[in-house]
Amino acid sequence: MPQMWNITLRVYRQKENEAPHFDNIDVQVKPDEYVLDAVERAWAFHDATICFRHACHHSTCGACGMRVNGVEKLTCITLIRDVVHDGGTLKVEPLRNFPVVSDLAVDMGHFYRKMERVSARPIAPVAEAEIENPPSKWDPDAERAQYLRLSDCIECGLCISACPVMATTPEYLGPAPLAAAQDNGIQRKPELLSVVDCEDGVWRCHSAFECTAVCPSFVDPARRIMDLRKQVVSARLGKLFGKA
Amino acid sequence: MPIRRDIGSWAFALNRLTAIGLTIYLFLHLIVLGRLAQGPGAYDQFLALTENPLIKLGEWAVVAAAILHGLNGIRIILTSFGVGVTRQKQLFYGFMLVALFIILVFTAKMY
Amino acid sequence: MSQSASTSYAGPRPGENTWLWLIKIVTGPLLLIVLGLHLTVNHYMGSTATGLMTHDDVIQYFQNPIIPAIEILFLVTVVTHSLLGLRGILLDMNPSRSVLKIVTWLLVILGVSSVTYGTWLALTIASLGT
Repeated sequence: MPQMWNITLRVYRQKENEAPHFDNIDVQVKPDEYVLDAVERAWAFHDATICFRHACHHSTCGACGMRVNGVEKLTCITLIRDVVHDGGTLKVEPLRNFPVVSDLAVDMGHFYRKMERVSARPIAPVAEAEIENPPSKWDPDAERAQYLRLSDCIECGLCISACPVMATTPEYLGPAPLAAAQDNGIQRKPELLSVVDCEDGVWRCHSAFECTAVCPSFVDPARRIMDLRKQVVSARLGKLFGKA
Repeated sequence: MPIRRDIGSWAFALNRLTAIGLTIYLFLHLIVLGRLAQGPGAYDQFLALTENPLIKLGEWAVVAAAILHGLNGIRIILTSFGVGVTRQKQLFYGFMLVALFIILVFTAKMY
Repeated sequence: MSQSASTSYAGPRPGENTWLWLIKIVTGPLLLIVLGLHLTVNHYMGSTATGLMTHDDVIQYFQNPIIPAIEILFLVTVVTHSLLGLRGILLDMNPSRSVLKIVTWLLVILGVSSVTYGTWLALTIASLGT
């Protein structure tokens, strides 16, 4: 018999022309439900003016990213029992480093434009993906090239929120765009070199690795940014000595 | 402020803090060494000042900062070239252990 | 909600680029080595092998021409590394292009004057022994 927990959902509220504040809403949830369920319940039964985003409910759309007790999570896969106890308080806030549109919903436009700037690929040939242990039965190139896979990055923005450099300026490309640039590769797309080789690009990263720590989709943006550095250095050295 | 955050943020904060401390020391050091050119009197007089325990503590702190900053920097160089990129935390802890060891050794030699 | 500032994207800002970063990370390990040498010598050489303890110790030590050479190399390396790092810290404060330009020039002037002063000092000390 699944027990019900009584928790207090402490929700960040911010509407236009109002000062931001927190609302404490008592909800009943099962410990095996998800934080998103708690937010939905608060919206459905307590306050229908709470604004938040959600879509797929299974961590492929990237819409439901929020800060749960201060840490970036996809709320559709964050279990209640992992973040709160019966009778406890669960704090829910919007992602950091994005302008807040309303309550828990943020403006992702600037971020999406950055993804476009690096020509982020939502789908890529399997042959170009970094897969561990690819099947040995595949025939070389010609056949493998047919297979396409969805890119790991679901553009949820958790990494942008967690990154300490992102907090200093919105102009920094950020983990996800840099990871997408790495996925394209400087060799495949040389025009990306000038996009990432600049002070708001790959050299701005301070190796905090917060992005990898919060990524829900195994993109490992920190590792990709480091690999991108290698690519950029090779490209620059190549240009220098290529000309000589 | 990297509160309740991954160790990577603290590593970054540590590196930056030691960087600022070392920079201040660098310029102080350069100025103070100017006394060498003023002859034995001026310099040896200054050396007497350095016997002050607070100064000695400061000197210890500078060397400790240099070791921490240096090893942290090596970690950054390694990850920037792909080495240990998936083991960043272990790399940091490992280097800090080495740093601790070196600091203990030089502290013992200093006092 | 207002549009964020970069809808008119003026292109990547030049500045912390590959070369500056490479200089920073090459000078880093180089510094560790030279610093190690510097500390060892300062504390273990000299007339009594307990380090350069007096003015005369230092002057004597500087008579060997390789010493001022290494010290000057140390100076150039550490000033470069330190000022590049300072500039990196400044970048995190999101300065405008003009502020960045001004501060960069100030750092260059500071760097050049420090190296000039230090070189003069090293050569002066060396000459005091003659």
